[in-house]
Amino acid sequence: MGILLSFLGGLSFGLLGTALKAAERRKADAAGLVVSAYAWPALFMLFKTVLQKSGGHIPAKVFVIAVIFGICAAVASLAFQVSIGFGKVTVGWLMMNLSAGVPAAVSVWMYHEGLTVMKVVALGLVVVSIVFLSWGQVIEKRADGRNPSGGA
Amino acid sequence: MWFLLMLVILLTNGMSAFGLKMIAAWGLPETVKYPYLTVWYAGGLAVIALPMLWKGMRLGKTEVAWGALAGALSIGGQVAMAMALNRGVPGHVVFPISIGGSIFVVALAGRLMFGERLSAPTAIGLALGFIAVILVGVS
Repeated sequence: MGILLSFLGGLSFGLLGTALKAAERRKADAAGLVVSAYAWPALFMLFKTVLQKSGGHIPAKVFVIAVIFGICAAVASLAFQVSIGFGKVTVGWLMMNLSAGVPAAVSVWMYHEGLTVMKVVALGLVVVSIVFLSWGQVIEKRADGRNPSGGA
Repeated sequence: MWFLLMLVILLTNGMSAFGLKMIAAWGLPETVKYPYLTVWYAGGLAVIALPMLWKGMRLGKTEVAWGALAGALSIGGQVAMAMALNRGVPGHVVFPISIGGSIFVVALAGRLMFGERLSAPTAIGLALGFIAVILVGVS
């Protein structure tokens, strides 16, 4: 059952990426879409907070990092939504997920987490993947220049 | 423009999840998670909504409807992963399946629904990135 739930999580996130591309095809405004997409979870989390027995107390330092990282997430969502207006959703979505390598690398530096062989290989592959994706973008842009009707 | 957007996505999206790690490192209780996420979403909402309000822009039905669907799918994914973890499935199993699965679904939709064709370097980058994301999840 737990494995099935993991797959359902993947399906749900995958459909999220698909829905955002479908919205872009229907000319949804990128900023408006992000605002709406953040408003619903904000309400849901507020509801869960109010239901908590602790009353939802939040220390000042947690409040500060929540604002900073929430802004980071919204900027990333907006950049993703703008990028799929002219780029491929597959690449944009992969980039969103490859970004998991950044906190992994920061954790090694900030919290002195052990640098295992697997982590080194993973972070190395993130870099190599980005190089290939960038190379592909250059090739596809040149091809689109020769054939303007093509592309995403 | 594309390169700049990808760089912004890498840095900002990557760091956006780092707060939960900091909360865990500070040894704060689990109960702080929901207020944290409420402020997290509200902060993100405000930074995009305030300039829109300033410019006098309004949300259309398309944005509200698709945004609601996106929000529901985002919460659905989070809840499914949390339920899997609560049932004792280790994180190094849940995260690669969920993240890898989502990339697979988007790649399939990109090809079948949106007619995206990938050049050879992009396809190789996608395959390597898929492996990288799974390894980051496992490690």
